[in-house]
Amino acid sequence: MKTTITLIIVLFSVSLLHAQELLKPKMELKIDSIGNANIKVSMTMNANQWQMWSQNYGNNPALLKRNIEKEMPGYFMDDFKLEKNDMDRSFSFTFKAYGVCEVNKRGTWIVSTEQKNPDLTKLTEHKYMMVSTDMANGMQETSIIEFPESARNIKETKDAFDKTQFEFEMKEMRSGINWFLWIGILLAAAGGGWGAFISIAGKQPKNAQPF
Amino acid sequence: MNKKLLFPLLLLGAGIVFIVISFLNLGGGSGGLDIKIQKSSLIMPAAHKVYSNSQALNGQYYLFKALITNNGNKTLEKVTMKYRVPGYIEWTELGTLGRMIPGQSAVVACYPTFDQKITEKTTESIEKAEIVVEWAGASESDFLEESFSFKILNRNDFAYTNIPANEIMSWGDMFDNSPLIACFVTPNDPIVKYYTQVVQEKVMKGESSSVSGTPEAAVQFLLSLYEATRMSHMVYSSTKAVPQSLDDVSTLIQHVRLPREVISGNTGLCIELSTLYASVLSSVGLNPVIFFVPGHAYPGVKVNGQYYAIESTGIGGEGLGGIASAEDAFKAGMKNLEEFVKAMQAGDPRYSLVDINEVNAVGITSMNLDDNDFLRKKVDDIAMNFLPGQQGNVNVSAPTARGGGSGIGGDNSNRASGTLTFSTPSGWQTYHSPVPEMPILTTQVVSPDQSVSISVFDIPANSSQNAMQLVSQYFSQNGMQLEFQINGGRVTGNTYYPAYGTATKWIARIAPVQGGYRFIAVGSDSRYYDQYSGTINTVYKSIK
Repeated sequence: MKTTITLIIVLFSVSLLHAQELLKPKMELKIDSIGNANIKVSMTMNANQWQMWSQNYGNNPALLKRNIEKEMPGYFMDDFKLEKNDMDRSFSFTFKAYGVCEVNKRGTWIVSTEQKNPDLTKLTEHKYMMVSTDMANGMQETSIIEFPESARNIKETKDAFDKTQFEFEMKEMRSGINWFLWIGILLAAAGGGWGAFISIAGKQPKNAQPF
Repeated sequence: MNKKLLFPLLLLGAGIVFIVISFLNLGGGSGGLDIKIQKSSLIMPAAHKVYSNSQALNGQYYLFKALITNNGNKTLEKVTMKYRVPGYIEWTELGTLGRMIPGQSAVVACYPTFDQKITEKTTESIEKAEIVVEWAGASESDFLEESFSFKILNRNDFAYTNIPANEIMSWGDMFDNSPLIACFVTPNDPIVKYYTQVVQEKVMKGESSSVSGTPEAAVQFLLSLYEATRMSHMVYSSTKAVPQSLDDVSTLIQHVRLPREVISGNTGLCIELSTLYASVLSSVGLNPVIFFVPGHAYPGVKVNGQYYAIESTGIGGEGLGGIASAEDAFKAGMKNLEEFVKAMQAGDPRYSLVDINEVNAVGITSMNLDDNDFLRKKVDDIAMNFLPGQQGNVNVSAPTARGGGSGIGGDNSNRASGTLTFSTPSGWQTYHSPVPEMPILTTQVVSPDQSVSISVFDIPANSSQNAMQLVSQYFSQNGMQLEFQINGGRVTGNTYYPAYGTATKWIARIAPVQGGYRFIAVGSDSRYYDQYSGTINTVYKSIK
């Protein structure tokens, strides 16, 4: 969640020079069960904005990626994808951000909004909407924050700098299957059992006539 | 041994081996932690307060940032990262992550707090940063260790960009660090404060610019400051500026003397005079601005949203073609400003400004400097020149406020306004900034049949050799190779295009112009050079 507004400003900064109306980008941030997030930014523009945006970023996604990475040093990002629809003058830009959430010493998951008193609305048990307006840059951003299904007791709190953050609990994922351990046990059991069987069978008298 | 038992025993042994490996994997090694580092190639001591501030420019200037991922299958508790830079920073904790579940990632950025002594560094050096990640229950042998090297420049060095060479696209990218020039603006330096007091007392006879807040008073202050530098016989002089490659970053590194060094040395380059002006203006509560144009910089002040500028290099020097009066320097500054505003409005990225108050507000602040009796004595010696009756005419009428920052025009009597031009043959096409990847190529003029071309380069360099090195570097970045021979102001050479197996042969002139060098080359495909030599020589002879 760090500097999401920055992301939006980077995405649209150049088109703003000629923007005649408020830009209204939409950002969807979907947090997964290990605290990473898949982020999708989308927007439809007017003809003038589209032309400016296409000239600067739309035709140069590498520059867009570089500027976003530069402006958002708190993230490690990858899987950048830009999809444009020239007919509708719209685009969607997706990427994955690592380490968006952290777990404190009490095992509580935390994700910061990096904003003081943001305009937050609870949509569902796991979905919140945040509206941020930046009049200086002429934009109103709507962010949808979606927590994982396994998140429980999601609540808004303040951090030490009075910025709003979300705290929630999440059942810790079970440790992955330790294949080495289980294969080892199986092999050892099979080998031991087989050996024992041969040993027992070998102790029987050769001429034994049980009946 | 019974041969029948061989296979069962082998199975049993393999099982035991697998079990042992599984336990080693869980408890030993790096605990499944992986680390990925993104580092800064260089640190500028002058900007050490910026590096230590995670909020400065949105946290862009870090020493490194690390992505730690728990790729093991066990939750790690109290994961702590610490680092050190031997000789500069002792082991320092970067924070503790309460828990890291399998698959979880965390990003940790390092904003190093260097001791103030780093501002005394007068040589550059390669240093090593060491990083250790530890967690609850891990023994010392389990800790994850990483290290990387980086360069610490000397305190006067200013690197114009940190963007990797293969990412450079525009002029703006080449001068991406421009806001950091504010680190060289030192209004709190005791020597700058003392100098300001002396100028206020002896040149201005008291001043009210910061009190009244009017444009007239601010401009009067600018003029008086110029007059002070003129009366102290301060001269314009160049310093070292060399292109350097650090890892994948290629940048021009300029030696920028601090304002206290400009005062005590009584000499400065355009950027140094600009930082001196900005320091003094800031210390009296005005809002200083530094304007950057291709190959040059000059100072100004912002009052009530309007800009005023002065050509601080007008002091020149007797050996450099004369000294402009304060009035002329102001007129030249305002004329430059007018051009600046036009270029800015046209979206020319080569024209930019640094508003010192604005960048200070986002965390770009100057280094702390100690008082120095010797330097105070130097200021006293300089003040001996501030004698009554020696002052020039500083009673310039106040500027008329106009929108957009443009103001008074007039003759540009700037000392460094010398230039190099040529006559364009009729019918030839002119292209401005034809190659965005090569911002120093400001103009290209091509003959109607495209057989002969004239290229004009404006290069921010302090010698013709440096200028040509920079041109060569640009060509190299763009897949070309340059071969040249300088003979005074005349340069001859060839440009090779390995991708096409062709070459251009050219002849050129190079000369110092305002704040740098201009290089004008005329040539054609080497195979047809002789055929067009008449045209080429005619154009060459017109370069003056």
